[in-house]
Amino acid sequence: MPKKILIIDDDPAIVRYLKAVFSDNGYATCNASSSMEGLEVVKAEKPDLICLDLQMPGEWGPRFYRKLRKDKELKDTPVIVVSGIDGDHAVKDAVAFVKKPFDPEKLVGIVKNTIG
Amino acid sequence: MAKKLLLVDDEEGIRKVLSIALSDSGYTVFTAQNGEEALDIFRRETPPIVLTDIKMPGMDGIELLQTLKQESPDTEVIMITGHGDMELAIKSLKFQAIDFVTKPINDDALEIALNRAHEKIRMRQQLREYTENLEALVREKSAKLVEIERQVAVGQAVEGLSSAMRDIAVDLEGGLTYFNEMPCFVSIHSPQLKVIAVNPLYRDRLGDKVGHNSWEIYAGKTGTQANCPAGQTYKSGKGLRTKATVKTASGGKAPVMVNTAPIRNQDGDVELVVEISADITEVKRLQEELDRSQQRYQQLFDEVPCYISVQDRQLRLTAVNRRFKEDFNVEHGAFCHEVYKHQGEPCPNCPVAKTFEDGHSHQSEMVVTSKAGERYNVLIWTAPLRNAAGEITHVMEMSTNITQIRKLQDHLSSLGLKISSISHGIKSLLTGLDGGMYLMETGFAKDKSERVKAGYEDLKLIVSRIRKLVYNILFFAKERELKRDRVDILNFVDDVASTVEPKIIANGIEFVREFDASVGALKLDAGVVRLALINILENALDACLEDEAQKSHKILFRVQQDDKQIFFEISDNGIGMDREVRESLFTLFFSSKGNKGTGLGLFIADKIIDQHDGRISVESKPGRGSKFKVSIPKMISKSVITKRKNE
Repeated sequence: MPKKILIIDDDPAIVRYLKAVFSDNGYATCNASSSMEGLEVVKAEKPDLICLDLQMPGEWGPRFYRKLRKDKELKDTPVIVVSGIDGDHAVKDAVAFVKKPFDPEKLVGIVKNTIG
Repeated sequence: MAKKLLLVDDEEGIRKVLSIALSDSGYTVFTAQNGEEALDIFRRETPPIVLTDIKMPGMDGIELLQTLKQESPDTEVIMITGHGDMELAIKSLKFQAIDFVTKPINDDALEIALNRAHEKIRMRQQLREYTENLEALVREKSAKLVEIERQVAVGQAVEGLSSAMRDIAVDLEGGLTYFNEMPCFVSIHSPQLKVIAVNPLYRDRLGDKVGHNSWEIYAGKTGTQANCPAGQTYKSGKGLRTKATVKTASGGKAPVMVNTAPIRNQDGDVELVVEISADITEVKRLQEELDRSQQRYQQLFDEVPCYISVQDRQLRLTAVNRRFKEDFNVEHGAFCHEVYKHQGEPCPNCPVAKTFEDGHSHQSEMVVTSKAGERYNVLIWTAPLRNAAGEITHVMEMSTNITQIRKLQDHLSSLGLKISSISHGIKSLLTGLDGGMYLMETGFAKDKSERVKAGYEDLKLIVSRIRKLVYNILFFAKERELKRDRVDILNFVDDVASTVEPKIIANGIEFVREFDASVGALKLDAGVVRLALINILENALDACLEDEAQKSHKILFRVQQDDKQIFFEISDNGIGMDREVRESLFTLFFSSKGNKGTGLGLFIADKIIDQHDGRISVESKPGRGSKFKVSIPKMISKSVITKRKNE
């Protein structure tokens, strides 16, 4: 069974982009357009990895991250931050911090190293 | 002397590294690991600059900032923020932080922030010195006035003295022994109108006239036998008081005040006349100087580049200078807070009231509204005015208009925000372009036309976003003159509605037009007002799209009028706004839409409507939708015209 990646980003164009990149490399995907929706999808889909944007309407990515880390079942899910904001302080133990615009091959490389 | 700086952060690593860097730059660095400790150190060391993290356990950075600004408004606070804290950073600027730097801390960014803090401190000091100089000048002038008034009083005392001397001379026949010391011209005259004695001052100034005729020293009419004071006194038997001009020994003339007194023998006949004259040149000179000084004082009062007012204990204006009258409506006895702020209550931190309380000067910064409706930032300085008993009867208030400086500062902080906000927006757009191209490329390679189409649609979407961003930035970057033409409103709003309607309907949202058919025409710059209305309509659309409540959404575009204004009302039943969002709506680069907003739309709409002397009001509640009401006056008001002229 393919590994599953959850994409959280409020921009539908970027969601489509990431979905295409991951599915072309043999991963299954699911997505959410906000932090709140993201938490629901994480619980329902139990993804193997989360690809998280930081700046979104309503709650920002870091808050999603803190809530995720408080949930015992989910807290070990690896997170890759994909964002246009500089700096990586808010999400301290993210697997990687990928700046927008990103190189799809590098992103896929990081994903492969993390979940195979 | 080393500059003091207080560094507050809960992470020991950051404290250590930054302390070293700042010490190298010549600062004496104090560190604290939380807000409470920071306040202790601050009160002890009073550093002019504080650098603080926002997120800390216990008292956080924002709270520390508010406390510091309240205790010591002159202290400049730089915030350290994590990258997710943009909203907190904006909030801290509202609470008067001078700047913020993001983690990881870049040395250059920190240096810029520190320089900005120093610049602000320097600017404030200059302003203060300037105001203090002014105060000193006024004090010096007032002291001079008091001195002159005292001299005038002395002159009057001399007159009084000579009149007293006359009485003494009447009462005491032997009184003559005094007169050698008197500060006046004193002479004794015989019934034959000959001078028989003079005092030394008389001899020095008018010559030794002993044995000469009594009228000899006088010029003009008084200088005749019948009209000279001694002659008249012999004739009437009564003392007299008159003004005359005497010829001095050096050939000049001097105005004098002459008093005479008859001295009678035992039979009651006038035996001698004492004539006492005080030189009134000095008095006159003092009088003129007083007038001149008063005039100069008035000029100074009127012309200084400040608003000066004198207020009584009830904060009523008892005197104001010309500049004050130019910019504010002053009726006699009006209250300061009415005139400055159109408020019924005194301001909470009234510096005048504080001065009445403690007798010291106080300063504060306030925003006041002129009679033309302009908002000015003023730096206020007060000084007590005391009566002779040393009690404070009035307080003088000087306000320097620092609006320009403030504007510049706001512009600087918004530029700082702009750079981070726009660069982030552009990165998202670039990623979107990459995405569209990836979909098209891989779609072509794998021959999947659906994917090519999806990629193309994404590219179209991103390009339209780029277009909007570029237009808005261009608009922001350029101050343009309004091009007002008479526009038929019904045609105009139909056109605006038709532009946005397809997009609204395509998203399954109902769009209702409700136009008053009799609105007629209005002079406005159709191009920009159209941009403003479209920005608001597109926001309404976004508000409906973001609303996840399962209901049918509707946008109402309504145009109405009364006799003075035309109203454009745009309401939606979308997601709505809470108070904080509502209050920041028109702020530059404020966006509640994450990646999709530029933070320019409503800022620009507000600016456009303001240029038309109109206003935008907003009603909104979370979950209840929003109503934007744009009102534009039918007549162009005078203040707008003069404003334009001054620009």
